[in-house]
Amino acid sequence: MLKKKVSAVAIKSFALLVVLGMASQVMAQEAKAPYPKMAPIEQYLMADQGAEIALARSATPESISRDAEVLVLGRHGFETAVKGKNGFVCIVERSWTSAADADFWNPKVRTPICYNAAGARSVLVRNIKRTDLILAGRTQAQVDEAIVAAVDKEELPAMEPGAMCYMMSKQGYGGDTVKHWPSHLMFYFPQTDIATWGAGLPGSPVIGMSDAQEHVTTFVIAVQRWSDGTEAR
Amino acid sequence: MTRNQIHGILLGTFAFVVALIATRPAAAQNAKEPYPTMAPVEQYLMDRDAEIALARSAAPDAVSHDASVIVLTRHGYETAVQGKNGWVCWVGRGWMAMFDHPEFWNPKVRAADCLNPPAARSVLPYAFKRTELVLAGHSKAEVIAAIKAAIDKKELPALEPGTVSYMMSKGSYLTDYGGHNGPHLMFFQSNEDGAAWGANLANSPVLAVNYWYLSAEAYPQLKSFPPLSVFLVGVASWSDGTPAPSM
Repeated sequence: MLKKKVSAVAIKSFALLVVLGMASQVMAQEAKAPYPKMAPIEQYLMADQGAEIALARSATPESISRDAEVLVLGRHGFETAVKGKNGFVCIVERSWTSAADADFWNPKVRTPICYNAAGARSVLVRNIKRTDLILAGRTQAQVDEAIVAAVDKEELPAMEPGAMCYMMSKQGYGGDTVKHWPSHLMFYFPQTDIATWGAGLPGSPVIGMSDAQEHVTTFVIAVQRWSDGTEAR
Repeated sequence: MTRNQIHGILLGTFAFVVALIATRPAAAQNAKEPYPTMAPVEQYLMDRDAEIALARSAAPDAVSHDASVIVLTRHGYETAVQGKNGWVCWVGRGWMAMFDHPEFWNPKVRAADCLNPPAARSVLPYAFKRTELVLAGHSKAEVIAAIKAAIDKKELPALEPGTVSYMMSKGSYLTDYGGHNGPHLMFFQSNEDGAAWGANLANSPVLAVNYWYLSAEAYPQLKSFPPLSVFLVGVASWSDGTPAPSM
């Protein structure tokens, strides 16, 4: 739930998507949830592993992703499909880690992300654990509770200095609420005041979100090109 | 505070892009120095009110209107406006570039910059120190030695996490190259290079430079300085909200 709240905030924060974000909140509150429960696991999987690897890699320019590790989703969680050598890890995240609340169980969501090494060690591990729990049949609330508990017990690490990720794919599907994310970078910190980066102020190019329970603050900066070098604005 | 490191970076960032990044060290070594010595100090100074306005223009008004503003005098930077949000806005000069940067003494450089509180606390003191030494007439070698001594004696702070600076002023002059300017954010990290963020690779939106030098060959003592990289990400708009040229 918390994760989804953070996502919803992020959606609202992108200038282009303000209206959509607001609409999504209303939708989440008033409309009947379009995806009330988990779909059959097959709907979340990609039959073509090569396609999933390519989609994951599309989150960053090829100059980064060609040497990155790539994870693909299996029936019991993410597994390594390609070993990397530059510390980056690319993955196609699913709805339960990267869509708004209304899309939490939306099986069509495909969100390519490449984490740098620090991001993989401190952010990706949480999403992998979240995925493991989801695929083991836990509810959204149970997963949130488990993640928060693991963070509190330091079974999951705090955000490392320099943790960041790329989300520059022209492809993917963000959900029915926001079909596609703008090309952007994300930077992660232990929970801090978002004002420290001037986030969310009028004219600021920085969007900030804090998750008090998971002790994470995320800053988002839109960039001007997709990973393939084409203009994104 | 990067101000001008940005130079080099900007060379690569705007227009002519990545090729220049790759050629920067060679350029630094081979090109005839366009500014071999410091110009008369007057050429680096500017009208106080204009400097305050330029400094503030580095960030959107929502950030800069409550920021402290410092301005350059004949002996160093001094506070012109006391802020209340922890941010500090200022206008960097050429000598805030890497020590071997060809525009180190370029008197036209005016790099408007607003630093967030961690950067103001942990990066700005280096700028103050460097500026005071430069204005006192010390050579680059003497400046480097004095900064190293200050670091060793812990008179200069360690880099704090979460540093960011806004350089979104339409009025800055960062370099003689290209369009001279472009809006961007900068981040300071204790890294040897930009690899950790995928910087300087083809199509990467992240550029990185060493804070201290283009090539350590010119001033080998800089190799012993704490690793410090400056990362730069271009943004789409100037601080006044108008769109910037695509990078």
